[in-house]
Amino acid sequence: MTENADFANVPEATHVPKKRSRVPVVWIIPIVAALAGVGIVVQKQMNEGPTIRITFPSAEGIEGEKTLIKYKDIEIGKVMHVNLTDNYTKILVTAKFEKHAEGMLDNDARFWLVKPQISLSGVSGIGTLLSGNYIGFEPGKSKVKRLDFVALEAPPPIMRDRPGREFALRADTLGSLGLGSPVYYRSLDVGDVISFSLAKDGRSMDIRIFVNAPHDKFVSADTRFWESSGIDAKLGADGLSLRTASVTALIAGGITFEAPSSGTAAEAAPNTVFTLFKDRTTALAPPQKDVRRYVLRFRESMRGLSVGAPVEFLGMSIGEVTAVGLEYSQQARDFRPRVEIATYSYRFTEHMEKKTRALQEVKTMEGRTDAIDQMVADKGLRAQLRTGSIVSGQLFVAVDYFPDAPKAKIDKTQDPPEFPVVAGKMAELEDKLNNFVAKLEKVPVDEIGNDLKKTLATLDKTLQSADRAMQSADRTLTRVDAETLPEAKKTLEDLRRAITSAERVLSSTDNTFLGPDAPAQQELRDALKEIARAARGVGVLTDYLERNPETLIRGKNKENP
Amino acid sequence: MTAGARTGMREGFVSCEVCGLLSRPAGAEEPGHCPRCGAELEFRRRDAIQRTWALVIAAAICYLPANILPVMRSTTLTGVEPDTIMSGVVILYETGTWYLAVILLIASVMIPLAKLASLAYLLVTVQRGSVRNNRERTRLYRILEIIGRWSMVDVFVATFVVALIQMKPLMSIAPEPGVLFFSAVVILTIFAAESFDPRLIWDSSQGKQETNE
Repeated sequence: MTENADFANVPEATHVPKKRSRVPVVWIIPIVAALAGVGIVVQKQMNEGPTIRITFPSAEGIEGEKTLIKYKDIEIGKVMHVNLTDNYTKILVTAKFEKHAEGMLDNDARFWLVKPQISLSGVSGIGTLLSGNYIGFEPGKSKVKRLDFVALEAPPPIMRDRPGREFALRADTLGSLGLGSPVYYRSLDVGDVISFSLAKDGRSMDIRIFVNAPHDKFVSADTRFWESSGIDAKLGADGLSLRTASVTALIAGGITFEAPSSGTAAEAAPNTVFTLFKDRTTALAPPQKDVRRYVLRFRESMRGLSVGAPVEFLGMSIGEVTAVGLEYSQQARDFRPRVEIATYSYRFTEHMEKKTRALQEVKTMEGRTDAIDQMVADKGLRAQLRTGSIVSGQLFVAVDYFPDAPKAKIDKTQDPPEFPVVAGKMAELEDKLNNFVAKLEKVPVDEIGNDLKKTLATLDKTLQSADRAMQSADRTLTRVDAETLPEAKKTLEDLRRAITSAERVLSSTDNTFLGPDAPAQQELRDALKEIARAARGVGVLTDYLERNPETLIRGKNKENP
Repeated sequence: MTAGARTGMREGFVSCEVCGLLSRPAGAEEPGHCPRCGAELEFRRRDAIQRTWALVIAAAICYLPANILPVMRSTTLTGVEPDTIMSGVVILYETGTWYLAVILLIASVMIPLAKLASLAYLLVTVQRGSVRNNRERTRLYRILEIIGRWSMVDVFVATFVVALIQMKPLMSIAPEPGVLFFSAVVILTIFAAESFDPRLIWDSSQGKQETNE
């Protein structure tokens, strides 16, 4: 501004000595340490999974701070403490779950104890022999979270994520099946029994099986299941046929399934209920559909006819006997046998050639029923009792043509309709016997007897005359004796003389042949010696053979003569 | 009371920490260098108390994770098992080698703790200008310096074991973060003991008492 300004008032800057920073750098060290500590605590807290409580029936092999919870063989948790529950009946296991697995803790999650198991159908959990038991885990599909669980008593038979389908089987008895019994399809192990329980009414067993994918698609709606535990032996006209399942199935039991050859049914939905048959034959028997029932009124004994006996048409099974009983006829005032049969009329057409025009006529059940009515009315189709086995006397019902049978037709006014019958083969046989007896009765036995008597009298006379003839012959012989014997005596004496002279001649020849030095004698002796030697040889041989019979086959052993 | 202490600093001298030569400082602010050995001279170690406090606090912070976190993890056929220092002591004791358990307990748990406590005690007494037990406190400081390094034995053992026991399918041992914190504790306490200046103990004491001693 102006030149003559007064500078005296300008303040002087103060010199402040440079201060060393008050907080030394060394404080970074505890700050870093604290940060690291806090970081670790925070990380721990972040990684800290939830604490869960599982109730176990027993604490077999569960140890605090040691036993692991595993899912798909990786560790997802660890048991912290093992305590008794408040009422001292169960075990309460407190466990720490891993943070990353927390999402699996839902309402349906399952826990169970894994321990080594050795059974006929396999060995599992061998690893636990070394590492100790662990707790198995399987997540559920529920969205609801949960922290308190009750462990399963046994490992679940199947994991939820195992691909395949579950089916139910209804059986009369459990047989030799058990948990884990294999399920076979064409002898391939495709699944197993996962549970079984008695039906609610106690009259059958409910068996649940699991068939693994991709084999589960072979289970269709008409698939048949049967128990394959055992040997199925059958002695037929073509010899003995033997069917066995695998050795495991023989011991531990098993289930086999197969679709009938004609099966074109769709794949079975999960949890479909099937019947478990006792064996393959009954399982693969044709299904019983298009049932038509008839009542048969026979006049003969029902002995040997039982429920389930076959009904055969020209030797082919078309049905079975469903009831055997008596009924009272008010008109005739008597009791009569009454047999009910069920026929499966589709079996008539089952094996017919396809696509023929004739088939069209009998394709429907109505068509077949009409045809049968016709056959009964025109061709004499009748039911008859026949003996199936002469040994056991079992009867069966045969349906056959009897053109000579009196006219009859199916009585449809009754329910079930009455099918006309003819007398059985046994009854026929009885008739024939009766006829025979009647004929026998007509034979004139008395006249024959009289004739016989006369004949005998004649015979007696003849014999008497023969006796007389014999007596005269006797006399003749006595005479011959007296006249002939002295002569014969003389002849004998002559003969004796002749022999004496012959003896003399012979003794002279003895010297030639029989003396000790006679040449013949000598040769004979030599020959006998040869024979003796040969006999000794044979003796030695038989001795040797007795001791070493194998030489007959192998020859003589050179080293051991 | 506290003003009466008779020390080299108060008399206007400074001693060399390296060769022990007593010399006159070059200036009041900067004492300069030792005329004999050339080492930098200090009346007292710079910011000794603050620095020691910082290291002691850092060591104390590290002491917690060192004992809580596992120091190593042994993998055997029967599973994986992490071990903390205390669990090692317990295992040694339970398996019957109680003397080893005692050694481990003393070397690894008690000595670091004792060092932290002793350093804190020294610092507090110095800051409060305590004049009692000066000799004992100095002796305590000497002991601290000597035994401090032995705590490192634990770390050595851990590293040896980790390096040696690597029989992969049967057994292997791997280090865990706990061992890092543990060595941090040991190293920080050694540094803390180093940064503390025992001459401070005498600064506040009565000169008379000391000379009379």
